[in-house]
Amino acid sequence: MRLGTQLVTFALALLLGSAAFAQTAQEIVTATDRVRNPAKPFRTVLTLTEYVAGKERDHDVLALFSKEDEASRQFRNLVQYVEPARDAGKRVLLDGHSLWFYDPDSKVSVRISAQQRLIGQAAIGDILTVNLAVDYTSTLTGVEKIDDATHQPRQCWHLELKAANDVATYSRVEYWVEQGSFYPIKGKFYSDSGRLLKIVYFRNFSERLGAIRPAEAVIIDAVDSSLATTATFGESSYQEVPETWFQRDYLPRLQIK
Amino acid sequence: MRLSGRLILALAAALAGAIGRADEPADENKDLDLIPQAAQTPAKPAAQVPMPTGTTSKFYLENTFTQSWAQGGLLVPVPPPPPSAWEERLLFDVRDEWRLGSAVSLIYSGRLNLRAEDHLNFPSHQNVTNDLREAYASSEPLEQTFVDAGRINLKSGVALGFNPTDFFKTRAVVEPVSVDPVVLREDRLGTLMLRAQRVWSAGSLTVAYAPAVASRSAIYGDNDLHSFDPVFDRTNAQDRFLLKGSIDIGDRLSPEWLAYHEDGRTRWGLNLTASVSQSVVAYAEWSAGPRPSLIDDALRFGRATGTLAPDARAVLPDDAREHFRNELAVGASYTTGAPKITFNLEFNYNQAGFSGTDWNNWFRAGRGAIGSSPTAGELWYIRDYALDQQEQLTRSSIFLRADWVDAFIPKLELSGFVNTDVIDGSERVQLTADYYLSDFWTIGGLVLTELGGRHSEFGSLPQGGSVLLKVARYF
Repeated sequence: MRLGTQLVTFALALLLGSAAFAQTAQEIVTATDRVRNPAKPFRTVLTLTEYVAGKERDHDVLALFSKEDEASRQFRNLVQYVEPARDAGKRVLLDGHSLWFYDPDSKVSVRISAQQRLIGQAAIGDILTVNLAVDYTSTLTGVEKIDDATHQPRQCWHLELKAANDVATYSRVEYWVEQGSFYPIKGKFYSDSGRLLKIVYFRNFSERLGAIRPAEAVIIDAVDSSLATTATFGESSYQEVPETWFQRDYLPRLQIK
Repeated sequence: MRLSGRLILALAAALAGAIGRADEPADENKDLDLIPQAAQTPAKPAAQVPMPTGTTSKFYLENTFTQSWAQGGLLVPVPPPPPSAWEERLLFDVRDEWRLGSAVSLIYSGRLNLRAEDHLNFPSHQNVTNDLREAYASSEPLEQTFVDAGRINLKSGVALGFNPTDFFKTRAVVEPVSVDPVVLREDRLGTLMLRAQRVWSAGSLTVAYAPAVASRSAIYGDNDLHSFDPVFDRTNAQDRFLLKGSIDIGDRLSPEWLAYHEDGRTRWGLNLTASVSQSVVAYAEWSAGPRPSLIDDALRFGRATGTLAPDARAVLPDDAREHFRNELAVGASYTTGAPKITFNLEFNYNQAGFSGTDWNNWFRAGRGAIGSSPTAGELWYIRDYALDQQEQLTRSSIFLRADWVDAFIPKLELSGFVNTDVIDGSERVQLTADYYLSDFWTIGGLVLTELGGRHSEFGSLPQGGSVLLKVARYF
């Protein structure tokens, strides 16, 4: 009987402990969201370098305007292609379900689907600013020591994230966050069918927008592992982004000053 | 006790698993091997990559060579001269913007063409043409209120294959390098106009007035183009007014209403797009208003501009009365998971276009005629008019388009479309391939073919298809 009582007590403690973990997991993800991006509206330049079979293939430069929506607490992004020259001036508005693509050649804004968003490199800007704590529910699966992108060991929380709404781009995410600093170290992104799509390493932690943040992400295509992209944040500054900028008819009017 | 024993085992196993995970992340570090050697070193310090400014300019040089083949056994012969069998074109395309202080911007978009083709004298002024697409000034006198003046490409419409609300498309396309509706939308002249636009956080309102500054002119052929001329006779032969407003209903639905007035007629329009799911966007585009049939419109225009004799007898039975007629494009886009291919499927409808009876009359009237006869001239004039107006000739069609980025190999983009005439089943099929050799060089090509019987829309065209090769250098 005593053993039974002890077991029940132990099981209850485990259950309560895991509930506390679940709450903590969400807080961890929220904290690391803040490490990646600030709450205030900002603009930045993002350089994407694509590698094919280990060799640098080409690069894109994007101007990114980002603002957290007070209601949804999710980032809304306005992206303009700067390079390559053939894509210069193309713009993408990424605002929850409202996704629009503007091509200055056709001069028409076209609504695109979330799947279509993933075709262009602009999606990377969106992925890098997403508040994971908003679109995903998190649980802590353990504590692990893994190597970061520079092969330095980091003591990390290993988190499991499940899509909590239909805005979430991925069905499931595995996430490693360094204990203490809340630095994001690594993420693995999965499709609805459970297929691993992308592996992301964060690195180059340095001063940006008033805090130490990852200045670079290495994004590995897990479907075709010969493809990889580095995304490097360049000059960044706080800038008020008016609400009208997220109106599709504003897309042709956007000017970077 | 047996239950307690099982619990102990289960808990022990769970604990062992948890402890095992704590310090042995299995093969997680193997993922580091997937980072390319060239990308192992972090990039230069972030602050060294500055925010760019003035980034909407685009310059490129493109050379295209097109070889076409004829379709034999036409039921209705084509008036001379026959269509060109080949064309060589070198074009320099410019789009740029300059800011005069913080208040005014100047926008220019144009294309300089050097071209040669059979049936075209060389050298002649026809070998050099300049398309002045846009040249206008833009200012923001009040916050989020914009005023633009000059030649502006004002485009409307959410569909791909046919745009009933794109009211300024008429007569604006000059010598396109492709019949792809997407390309036709890009390579066209703007209209001289004054435009005001107000943008709110949940919608916008646009007003435009395009004055008549030139007389109506006849339809141009490919051997009577002007070299350096803004050709306002194409775009500004009548006073035109447009009012359109859009509003977001939630973040999934965004309707746009339009009212357009030209030459005593008013047309109403609606554009609607909706995000249906993660991979599907549905859209509809509609316009309607009083107008005669396409046949009657064409004959009136031909007589007014002198191409057809004023007293020319209509060779087709025609209803000259004006009715409230509809134009509609309704469709959806669907993007697949892997590989990433986007499909657009549309049903397109033009109530003023050719019905099955009109097609039968067209073939019956022209059967046995010779190409230089007035009858053949008038019949083909109606089709030229529809092309010049960018109007769907037949009443109903189905348009399917596919775009595949990184097709088979990275940097290869494939796109293609099939436009099917619902009445006779004939088809226009085009496949385009572009390969991005580098950030600056692109090579590509396309194959176009018209499929159908001799008694069909696409099977009755004088050209059976064409092949185009191109190389482009971006600056």
